[in-house]
Amino acid sequence: MSLSPEDDFAAGEFALGTLDPAERAAIAARRLREPELDAAIRAWEARLAPLNEAVADVAPPADLLAKIEARIDAGAPAGADIVSLQARLGRWRAAAVAAMSLAAMLAVGVFVRESGRSNAPHEFVAVLQKSADSPAFAVSVNIDTRELVVRPVAATAPAGKSYELWIIADKLGKPRSLGVIDAAAITRNPKLGAYDSATVEGATYAVTVEPEGGSPTGAPSGAPAFVGKLIPVGP
Amino acid sequence: MTDAADLADLLARVSRRDRDAFRALHRATAPKLMGVVARILTRGDMASEVVQEAYVKIWDKAGDFDPAKGSPLGWMATIARNRALDEVRRVRPVSLEDMPDGFEPAAETQDPMASRERSERLKALMRCLGQLDAQKREIVMLAYYRGATREALAKRFDAPVPTIKTWLHRSLAQLRGCLEP
Repeated sequence: MSLSPEDDFAAGEFALGTLDPAERAAIAARRLREPELDAAIRAWEARLAPLNEAVADVAPPADLLAKIEARIDAGAPAGADIVSLQARLGRWRAAAVAAMSLAAMLAVGVFVRESGRSNAPHEFVAVLQKSADSPAFAVSVNIDTRELVVRPVAATAPAGKSYELWIIADKLGKPRSLGVIDAAAITRNPKLGAYDSATVEGATYAVTVEPEGGSPTGAPSGAPAFVGKLIPVGP
Repeated sequence: MTDAADLADLLARVSRRDRDAFRALHRATAPKLMGVVARILTRGDMASEVVQEAYVKIWDKAGDFDPAKGSPLGWMATIARNRALDEVRRVRPVSLEDMPDGFEPAAETQDPMASRERSERLKALMRCLGQLDAQKREIVMLAYYRGATREALAKRFDAPVPTIKTWLHRSLAQLRGCLEP
């Protein structure tokens, strides 16, 4: 086992729930690409999980099962908001703020890990998610080649709909489409070459649910279901 | 309460998209998952929302359950609890102001049948928790059952945050040493 004692305690505290939001988000992002850390979290979860047996029951609302089945039938990924077209502007702003705070959280963890390095990083990843434990897509970018690769983590395509990826940056004004992405297979996207590296590095990446084949208007049809920012992972 | 073997069987059927099995699984476990989530998210509507999301995830991920690595209920409760923790960390810190003193899991079990249902795994974990000092045990319990952060625990136990962190790490190490000698 090459997991450091520090990471093992972080895994234990992740399972216990005592990490603060920034640490929790950083660990949630790291476990996606660090199998040993993920295994350590699962092991700690399994050690502590029997405590749940001792919890007294609480009667669920009468319509709980009906609501769950409606969500399953709608084919929505767990936790995704498929929202109406109304008030889309306000929701975009809210999502951008949420994405920035998530990025700030991730940046704390990353800064600590990266501060010992002098070389500017070339490999970046973003975890597009609605919340820390519901990652939907992992985006990786090589800043030199502008290669963008989108891997589905836990995304399920809603029936008759498509997922579309957007790049959002102040400099660009409106969200710009990076194309429809696959919920079941890796998507490699060539469109990133149109943007300079500072924009690519600093942008927010968002996924919306669109009519099949992508947004008919060239603009997002609703609030993003998943958002994320790039963090450096390699030289 | 359905026993672990029945729940594991239901999960296996759910992984094959058996909706009747999913309904049976929901009937057997929803009160427990509500109990787990409602202790962390005290607002009822938020708790119900999180439990809905947890069951959608259980429907999607039932095939990932590995009986060798834990109980079906523990696996399902962990999914619900992780969602609840994400939600509560986003909304506001957990306040422990209203918590009763001497918080113990024994006080959690109001169900007279509960002691018979306790698994061997829970008995082993309780025995190991019993070896921690009372205060360190209470800290672990508050963290697990109520979603308390280090900051909330520091305030409640009038100790600096780094001290709480050290105690948590020692307690975790001691628990693992006891569970896996």
